[in-house]
Amino acid sequence: MNHDIPVDQLGPQGEIMAHAIDACVHCGFCLPACPTYALLGDEMDSPRGRIFLMKEVLEGELPLFEASPHLDRCLGCMGCVTACPSGVPYGELITSFRGWSEPQRRRSAFDRAKRGAILKALPAPRLFSAAARLGQYAKPLSPLLPTSLKSPLDLLPEHVPAMLDLPRRTPAQGPQRARVALLAGCAQQALAPNFNAATLRVLARNGVEVIIPEGQGCCGAAAMHTGARGEALKLARTNLAAFEPDDYDAILSNAAGCGAGLREYPEVLRGLPEEAAARQLAAKVMDISTFLARLSEQGGLEPFMPAKKPLKIAYHDACHLAHAQAIRAEPRALLKLIPGVSVLEVPEGEICCGSAGTYNLEQPELAAQLGERKARNVLSTQPDMVASGNIGCHTQIQSHLRRQGSPVPIHHTVEILDLAYRGEL
Amino acid sequence: MNLFSRKRPEKLALNTNAPVTKPRSTDAPHSPLASELTRLLGPQKVLSGLGERLNYRYDAILVGETPLCVVLPESTQDVALAVKAAKAAGVPIVGRGAASGLSGGAAPLKESLVISFTRMTRLEIFPERREARAQAGVVTLAVSEAARPHGLVYPPDPASFRTSTIGGNLGENAGGPMCFKYGVSGDYVRAMQFVDVDGEVHELRRDAYDLAGLMIGSEGTLGFITEATLRLTPPPRFTRTLMSHFPEVGQAAEAVSQAIAAGAVPAKLEFMDKACTNAVEDYLHIGLPREAEAVLLVDTDGEDLATVEEELALVESACLAHGGTVRRAADDTESAALWRARRSISPALGRIRPQRMNEDIVVPRSVLAEVVREIRALGEASGFHLVQFGHIGDGNLHPNILFDPRRESAEQVHELAYQVALVALRHGGVLSGEHGIGAMKRSFMRDALDSVTLEALWNVKRALDSQERLNPGKVLPGDADLPHQDTHAHP
Repeated sequence: MNHDIPVDQLGPQGEIMAHAIDACVHCGFCLPACPTYALLGDEMDSPRGRIFLMKEVLEGELPLFEASPHLDRCLGCMGCVTACPSGVPYGELITSFRGWSEPQRRRSAFDRAKRGAILKALPAPRLFSAAARLGQYAKPLSPLLPTSLKSPLDLLPEHVPAMLDLPRRTPAQGPQRARVALLAGCAQQALAPNFNAATLRVLARNGVEVIIPEGQGCCGAAAMHTGARGEALKLARTNLAAFEPDDYDAILSNAAGCGAGLREYPEVLRGLPEEAAARQLAAKVMDISTFLARLSEQGGLEPFMPAKKPLKIAYHDACHLAHAQAIRAEPRALLKLIPGVSVLEVPEGEICCGSAGTYNLEQPELAAQLGERKARNVLSTQPDMVASGNIGCHTQIQSHLRRQGSPVPIHHTVEILDLAYRGEL
Repeated sequence: MNLFSRKRPEKLALNTNAPVTKPRSTDAPHSPLASELTRLLGPQKVLSGLGERLNYRYDAILVGETPLCVVLPESTQDVALAVKAAKAAGVPIVGRGAASGLSGGAAPLKESLVISFTRMTRLEIFPERREARAQAGVVTLAVSEAARPHGLVYPPDPASFRTSTIGGNLGENAGGPMCFKYGVSGDYVRAMQFVDVDGEVHELRRDAYDLAGLMIGSEGTLGFITEATLRLTPPPRFTRTLMSHFPEVGQAAEAVSQAIAAGAVPAKLEFMDKACTNAVEDYLHIGLPREAEAVLLVDTDGEDLATVEEELALVESACLAHGGTVRRAADDTESAALWRARRSISPALGRIRPQRMNEDIVVPRSVLAEVVREIRALGEASGFHLVQFGHIGDGNLHPNILFDPRRESAEQVHELAYQVALVALRHGGVLSGEHGIGAMKRSFMRDALDSVTLEALWNVKRALDSQERLNPGKVLPGDADLPHQDTHAHP
């Protein structure tokens, strides 16, 4: 689409935004892929509408505060990117726009404090864990609290598990097939330490040596996507120093959002001295499911113990696997390797569950509507178990399954593989 | 009027209505009409902030004027109230579905009230009558999805059917690949409800004067379709797909004519030229033949497998006889991938040039080969990137001129489009098969129709909308000098 964006005044991020806006032909093919359009039915809360709004703000034709409510409602799920035939890099556009616009926004003191707290606690697993424990005690008070405070409490599991000390190095069992680095993740370490434990066991059993490099931190995706660009740059630089791509066959993530976050480093660092290093790192980043699927194709995986009885697993596509990284077939193929397992497709599978990073804290009403809808769709397949590849979806779906009175368990894909190896499936 | 120029003055005017001190876009309405509509319909159904209105000025081809106000009705009653309020305020009204249209039909050309039907999504299926009753905002695909458990489908399938609405489809009389054998949207309407320019609600059937037929394809210039009763059909039991590619575009057109003359009635018969094939291949990577000058995509279907196969064989031999290479889809998955390719052409063309002028001509099948070649030659002589695709089975072609408005002249684009339109008219064709005339082809209507016929259309328009307040500037040329005669408000 035509625009008059003053690209030269906006720097490398301006080029990213202008390129995305150029590419949009406003055909509307993105509308049915957008969760907020599905809920609200208006143009401003659709990807096409948001692209127009960003264009108008960048051109100086529309005050930022007029566009902000609609841009804030975008989950960043990238469903529109999958649906777009013109190849509009919407994710790069909205992330860059948020980074550009955040310093100009006037937020209330409460809002600032809340955002500050989230961005401080999320990248610090021990702090997050402590906060989660504290939250557990506050849970009974939840009905008395305003929605903005209630929603994080509602998402907490009944029991916040103890943190695990992760070994710096886990040796391969048997002949070594590969050497990888693992991004340990932040909130995931506090809320679901078993994701990493299961990952280490499954990789080791398949001849993979796993290093958890010291000095690594949060991938920065949450900061990046909420517009905290300074913070995002700091975190990206920390990880560039911690992960040395040449030392590993792959840099693995077992959280969809974090994997996609690492792969975005070249965009975040566009035009900065670290851009080349960021490209090198991003090229090595792989989701755990892709890595295991490749091992499976190249020489096979250690055989799984069959499930005790036929097991129907509903697979939930995390947006940052399916839309941001185009990973759909691999996790399904892995689950199907387990004898006795059948994989079910969830209706409206391409629509986000509403977790979306910090979305369920910042837009609790919409997040809850999407969570409720996702849980309903999942249960309509009558599964014995649910699989997903992202801690955010995991927490959100689990919480909404419970709210609908369902006892169906949800596990990370790699946890299910681990259970199968142990004969506990 | 130059449709491609960037227009700014209205924004300056509107910015004074939207002072920067305003804390929220959902704050108090800015115009008396917005205040009145908010009073009548409540704040949830009325959009008046600048950030909200800006997003209702475009469709999939054109960016028009920022609306004065936007209404999101939930019922016919809401529509009637909105129309009455706009009448009292003397403000023009533009109806809008999902705005995936390709002739500028939903883009306001004047400061208007936009009625967006996307929240009117009530849908009922009556399997025993093989009918659906759909509100205007029901997404086209949703009708078939709801009907399928009853063993029925809704055949009209415009490329945008996942997004576009029934109201918009009927307004433009949208077609789709299925139209050769199964017809276009208007062929499936048994009855409809519409709101006239005075806000009165009418129930129409297809008997006596076919006023429903008049509303279909009128592009919101005669009234607003709010509900329709649609005919459903059982889906064919068997479908077979083949793709054929040719070293020359005219050969594809000749193959089509021969196949049909031999007695094949394909369900779908689609044509893509080299630029389309390559644009789609860049997007989907499904192994389309990049080197072919023309690709045909054909479905035969029916209740009897032998007949379906026989028809496919007729098409196959016609293609082979005209130098085509034939590939039959091995299974449903391959067939679905090929059809996804066809549906993706329109937006995928945006990768070549950011903007396009989109034609929708229909010509007799007997002259197809000649028309395709002539248009191709015009494109080559012009230096513009001109591509062709379409539902070639019924002679419906979509020559598209792709251009970059920053580097290429909009006037020259318009001139080339005019020349293309004249090719169609010279060969006994018409300007629109399924996209409507809208704003894009309005000026060509003087060449397409004789003055007596054009005057008859104007008389119909005057009878239903004497003040020209319904989607002004669309379909009929000469809105600036609408002759004033004895008029009646409505029949």
